[in-house]
Amino acid sequence: MTSIQLDPQADVAATTAGTVGGEFTVAARSQRQQIISRFLHNRLALGALLVYATIVIGSFVAPHLYRWGYADLDTTSLSRPPGSPGHPLGTADLGQDLLAELMRGVQRSTLIAFVYIVIALAIGIVVGSVAGYFGGWADSLLMRLVDLILTIPLLVILLVLAAKYAGGGGAVGIAVVLGVLGWLDLARILRSQFLSLREREFVEAAHAMGASNRRIIFKHLIPNSLGQIIVWITLGAAVSVLLEASLSFLGFGVRNDISLGKLVADGVNAADSRPWLFYVPGLVLMVIVMCVNFIGDGVRDAFDPANSRVRA
Amino acid sequence: MVLYVVRRLFSSVFVLLASSILVFAMASSVADPLAPLRTRQPPPTPEQMANQAHLLGLDRPWYTRYLTWLGHAVRGDFGNDLGGNPISRSLWEHLSLTLRLIIASMILAVLLAIAVGVLTAVRKNKLSDYVATTVGYMLIALPTFWFATLLKEFGAIQINNLFFGGRQVIFVFGVETPGLKSYGTASQIFWDQVGHMVLPVLSLAALSYAAWSRFQRASMLDVLGSDYIRLARAKGLTYGRVLIRHGLRNALIPLTTVVALGVGGLLGGAVITETVFGWNGMGQYLLDAIKHSDQNILLAWLLVSASFVIAFNLVADLMYAVLDPRIRLS
Repeated sequence: MTSIQLDPQADVAATTAGTVGGEFTVAARSQRQQIISRFLHNRLALGALLVYATIVIGSFVAPHLYRWGYADLDTTSLSRPPGSPGHPLGTADLGQDLLAELMRGVQRSTLIAFVYIVIALAIGIVVGSVAGYFGGWADSLLMRLVDLILTIPLLVILLVLAAKYAGGGGAVGIAVVLGVLGWLDLARILRSQFLSLREREFVEAAHAMGASNRRIIFKHLIPNSLGQIIVWITLGAAVSVLLEASLSFLGFGVRNDISLGKLVADGVNAADSRPWLFYVPGLVLMVIVMCVNFIGDGVRDAFDPANSRVRA
Repeated sequence: MVLYVVRRLFSSVFVLLASSILVFAMASSVADPLAPLRTRQPPPTPEQMANQAHLLGLDRPWYTRYLTWLGHAVRGDFGNDLGGNPISRSLWEHLSLTLRLIIASMILAVLLAIAVGVLTAVRKNKLSDYVATTVGYMLIALPTFWFATLLKEFGAIQINNLFFGGRQVIFVFGVETPGLKSYGTASQIFWDQVGHMVLPVLSLAALSYAAWSRFQRASMLDVLGSDYIRLARAKGLTYGRVLIRHGLRNALIPLTTVVALGVGGLLGGAVITETVFGWNGMGQYLLDAIKHSDQNILLAWLLVSASFVIAFNLVADLMYAVLDPRIRLS
């Protein structure tokens, strides 16, 4: 049995686990490593991440391996239920293979989510940081503007804008319209985060050392708000798919292209006669959004372990 | 307290005014009343276009048009739509249907959210908590129209067959059975309308309920963990009394804000639900106006909905002050 001796000269900050001079040492973990570790130990979030990644990556990779393209019309099998030979998920009324359409739909919806997140992030970070960091009249003005925009129901603004400005009804056009209105929540969240962060000592220290406002915002405040931003990103991915589905249902969404939302919306008309066209896209949508929500919850818990009992 | 109310009232009026400017900017830039002329064959000459623009008052500067519109609107005169019919009357007809839907959904969603929120908070991490939370997650993940269609498929026909022997009690389309008003008794008409409301209200309430119950659960958990609850239990009060009288009263306070902010979402959801169930309410009115680029209807619609939302926010602020003594006394 080895005896453990306390050796005052031992290097405490050893980077590998092992024994140094007969003493057990443990590597120091950075904050990022702790957060990632907490997330990975959250089984629900991890499982959701795996499922979501499989679906998304599969939608981009699998079409190359699959015999049907999303625009191919198999005129010999119109409106076949799932399990028909050659069409594992069935076909639609013109002979389009549902699995191929779904893969294309998930691709396009992922693209919409990505564009939406990028645009809303850009606007939201600017507005939120200006309002939160500079405070005063800029803060009041911007927050009043946000409240003003929120007096009109979001879906209604989207309808009105999408009808006029979405161009040909392509995926990117819809994503732009969504993004131009998606920053409101993020701006609010970032503003309150910055308002509390800017009183902290490290900001005061940076100021004292002569850091410019821009440097403080980009190098100190935003990285410390990363948790909120990432949570918002995951929720944004979910919201964009649902909004796009609603827009497509009302006829103002993606028109020239296939998206997951459009497939779900079109399936509503087929609910009686061809139920698979209704249930399968709907279930895929539900699974994707649920996974994204679980991932978001996992990220939130990883950044603030007080909320959960997940071990660090 | 009175000062607080007066201040909030003034603030609301100001916000409504600002909102009306935004509404006007949006509607006038999106809806072009000259659009049907532009696509006509043979294309009208520039003089004819200018003439029509002058008739419609479009050549005046925007602030003149805005003030004229606002002056009429506050007196309830929203002008005529593209077909020449006065908007106020048809607006009210559509609005009353949608109000029915929204108010019933809000009440149902709030009651359910409180009940389930408290239940899952008290039984945290037990089976009922997991089941309710999972159902909540699923409801949030579904688009409203998909869930509504699901209800149509499973709700109406099955329930009618199972419980009412095939007689149609729960309907899937429309607001009422056509023609019933002329020969039915008042009671028949009432229950007929209730039967038509069941599925739309359920589908509109579902999404709000799921979000609010999660919120209420978190709020309740917060409250239950606080010291004064522990003191109340230590004093010897029964669990029920502690829960309802001390815990719930405080846990309800954040919910009022969330519910008030959710009115906008309910309005949007109502547009979708009305489309699914074929109700001729504000949803249909709006969609037609957008399709036909009818500026007057859009203006009226947006102004009414903005007033609605602002009014609800005001009510929420006042209720917050009533419920939370800390606001009243500050």
